[in-house]
Amino acid sequence: MPSSAEAGAERGGGTSSAGAGAGRGRAQSGGGREARGRDKQSAGAGQTERGGGTSRAAALEVEHLESGYAGVMALRDVSISAKPGTITAVLGANGAGKTTLLATISGFVRPRQGRVTLDGTDLTRRAPEEIVRAGIAHVPEGQAVITELTVEENLRVGGLWRHGQAGRAAALEDAYKRFPVLAAARNRSASTLSGGERQILVIARALMASPKVLLLDEPSLGLAPRIVAQVMDLIQRLRDESGLTVVLVEQNARSALAIADLGVVLNVGRVVVIEEAAVLGADEALRKHYLGF
Amino acid sequence: MTEFLQFTLGGVSFGMVYAAIALSLVLIWRGTRILNYSQGAMAVLTTYIALTVINHTGSYWEGFVVALAAGLVLGAVIERTVIRPVENKPPLNAVVVTIGLLVLIEGIAGIIYGGQYRSFPTAFSVTGLHARSVPLGISRNDVFVASAVLVVALALAALFRFTSVGLRLRASAFNPYAARLLGVRVGRVLTLGWALAGLIGALAGLLVSPDTFLYPSSMDSIFVLGFTAAVIGGLDSPVGAIVGGLILGVVLNYVGGYLGSNLVSIFGLVALMAVLLIRPSGLFSVTHERRV
Amino acid sequence: MTLLRHLAAAIVAGAVIWAASVQLSPFRDFQMAQIAVYVVAIAGLSFLIGLSGQISLGHGAFMAVGAYTTALLMMHLNWPWWAVFLASPAVAAVGGAVVGLAAARLHGPYLAGATLMLAVALPSLAVQFPGVFGGDQGLSVNVFPPAGLGANFPPTRWLAWICALAALVTLVILANLARSRVGRNWRAIRDDPVAAALAGLPVGRLRVLAFIVSAACAGLAGAMLAVTTSLVSPGSFTLSLSIALLAGAVLGGLGTLTGALWGALVIVLVPTYVTDVATSHGFSGGVAANIPIAAYGVVLIVVMLIFPQGIQGGLRRLAKQFLPTPPTHLGSPGRRPPASEAEDPDSPYRRPPVSEHQEEGTS
Repeated sequence: MPSSAEAGAERGGGTSSAGAGAGRGRAQSGGGREARGRDKQSAGAGQTERGGGTSRAAALEVEHLESGYAGVMALRDVSISAKPGTITAVLGANGAGKTTLLATISGFVRPRQGRVTLDGTDLTRRAPEEIVRAGIAHVPEGQAVITELTVEENLRVGGLWRHGQAGRAAALEDAYKRFPVLAAARNRSASTLSGGERQILVIARALMASPKVLLLDEPSLGLAPRIVAQVMDLIQRLRDESGLTVVLVEQNARSALAIADLGVVLNVGRVVVIEEAAVLGADEALRKHYLGF
Repeated sequence: MTEFLQFTLGGVSFGMVYAAIALSLVLIWRGTRILNYSQGAMAVLTTYIALTVINHTGSYWEGFVVALAAGLVLGAVIERTVIRPVENKPPLNAVVVTIGLLVLIEGIAGIIYGGQYRSFPTAFSVTGLHARSVPLGISRNDVFVASAVLVVALALAALFRFTSVGLRLRASAFNPYAARLLGVRVGRVLTLGWALAGLIGALAGLLVSPDTFLYPSSMDSIFVLGFTAAVIGGLDSPVGAIVGGLILGVVLNYVGGYLGSNLVSIFGLVALMAVLLIRPSGLFSVTHERRV
Repeated sequence: MTLLRHLAAAIVAGAVIWAASVQLSPFRDFQMAQIAVYVVAIAGLSFLIGLSGQISLGHGAFMAVGAYTTALLMMHLNWPWWAVFLASPAVAAVGGAVVGLAAARLHGPYLAGATLMLAVALPSLAVQFPGVFGGDQGLSVNVFPPAGLGANFPPTRWLAWICALAALVTLVILANLARSRVGRNWRAIRDDPVAAALAGLPVGRLRVLAFIVSAACAGLAGAMLAVTTSLVSPGSFTLSLSIALLAGAVLGGLGTLTGALWGALVIVLVPTYVTDVATSHGFSGGVAANIPIAAYGVVLIVVMLIFPQGIQGGLRRLAKQFLPTPPTHLGSPGRRPPASEAEDPDSPYRRPPVSEHQEEGTS
């Protein structure tokens, strides 16, 4: 089997954590490889905050993260690089640490060790509200729709810190244009929305703040297959049209890999595979072993 | 018949004071799921401050404004220092802390101002109003009391419904986790909630102290009745707080008028227990209750 | 087994107290009696909160019930002290049952608010029916040492004896209750009422039982108070009393009997000491009297923020740091101390289970 490392490294910009090159099925770490990966990124991606660039693409780096709660380490030595404008699918069984990973990135859980950087800015151990303001939007599992508010109010909350009066109105109109289903329901209580509509709402809500990075936790949970397809399609469009960097945590590995650029598999808190999504999806043995299909 | 009318209208005035206390309790409860047992004591302190200003400057309104401002500050300071550490702990901790605050504030008031009963001026005259020479049982001041609370309640409602600050307050109260994810500084919002509650409580103290006289524990019974009003209306409901206050005020005025003033607090106790047993979530409870 | 151990401890303690009472001045004997009063009241409250997880801000009201029962029985029926010491807790227990039944479905702030209301409202009953309850002036109570002890026997020493006896008996009963199945059931409903109900425990009945026991203790304490202060009036049972009891329970350490002793010591000895110091430094009487009140507030806040387990809990933790773990029962291996407060099954402050979405605390 060709080493996926070499294959990856040859592509422009290199897959990050080219350390994945160490071979399949092994966790990796190592400062040297990280540095290499980053250099390749800044050369390749090239569109971070330079001279007021309008692109929102940003690189999210997680390095040697060790995180957990009440003495239980849910993540051990996890390193992932999400290239700008890509979808990174984080997969694995229940309890593998996927949700903890997102919670640590967005600041709800303090890591014991390790770093989280966005375009080189260190965001580790900052408060969630600061991390949000740095441009990371976290859409949690279970949708977190504020059911006591209307659809429009939910959206408005999303844009509060970002925009002044005028900006808010514009952002709202934008959201309604993009998601007509929300426009139709704008003054209804959010509790009246269906599961699929709620998922759209929380994504739209997160987008109100024009984030650079979108963290999505199991968006397909509890949704019918048809709706799942719509949501995945939406995510793909967000990457393609807006250049958003997406970290997609999913148990529905098949759907996730179908749209992702990079696939990361977590097992019991450790990274066991980092591979291009297409390659990962095609590798039957790997899929069966870690992803169950 | 006129007696009944008098008792009814007279009950409105006290009822609005209970409503004000209930409103401040509801505000804090919705935001932090904590019942602030020191609300009455805080009001005592701000009223003492008002009295000092009034005695110094001779102006009621200056004292009034200073008291409201003091209420804002007191509420904010208390939340930031003493309440913040217990917001995510088991409810027993918050109960003990707010009781501790109750006692501490009353003790401080006693130390600074002494325990004697002081009289507190009213904003307007207390002579009874008449409608075509029928005594109504209320005075200009009573009208002021009812209006002041109503105005504050409406202003609060407007704040919540129409402003971004209000949206933040509501989002943080309903779903603090989602709010934080969206960048709302929930901590600051909670402080604001306590500050507003402090302001409303201060108003209640100013309005009721002419009747009860001012001494360190003068708001104790007003507080428990305000709590009762909040429970009647539903701890989650600002509208319920007002309605509950009115109902309680009027009913208790009947009790006091027809049966004697000593029975008022006992009746309040009975009313509270009745509500807690029959319909603990109150008249206007919101259906989606978070953990009680 | 445990009963014998507790009885033995009580007898030893009784002997020590008896010996001390003979040596001390009449005033110190009086203070000993007072301490006994509060030990009983605080122990009852501490058990209610610490073992069954319910709160009461109105235990002063139960003390009032016990005290007035004592006064009335002695005044009208000439009952001796030991009879009223049995009757008063019984009457208060009935009150506890009523309140407990009403409150069994309440929890947290609702329960606290209801009991607070009780504390505020009850004293006015005495004023409402002055004929029976003596109104504001109250009723007087007189207890004299039996003639057999001699005409010169100091009355306060007798008071210290009977109060200490009552306190020791109460403590033995409570200690046994704590270790019994009832005690374990209480802890179960405190920690997780839903799980307990699912496991078949009669949660409501257990809660009411806790209230009954706790109110009975308060009633006995009220009787002891009546006997020691010779006067029962509404002014002795204000909200401050209920709060002082709470402060004593929290400070001493909820759910522990030794904690009740610490709490009682603090409540009886510290206020007079503080007031004396204040007056000697030139503060007026009124100001000095308010300092202990403010101090209770500070104690409640500080303890809850920093030492939620009170003095007894603090000592226990210190002991665990420095001493090797002793065996808890003869012959059984030592119990490993819990890794943190949250895991201590005896702590009333177990944090709610950590979920993945636990917030990290606002900045």
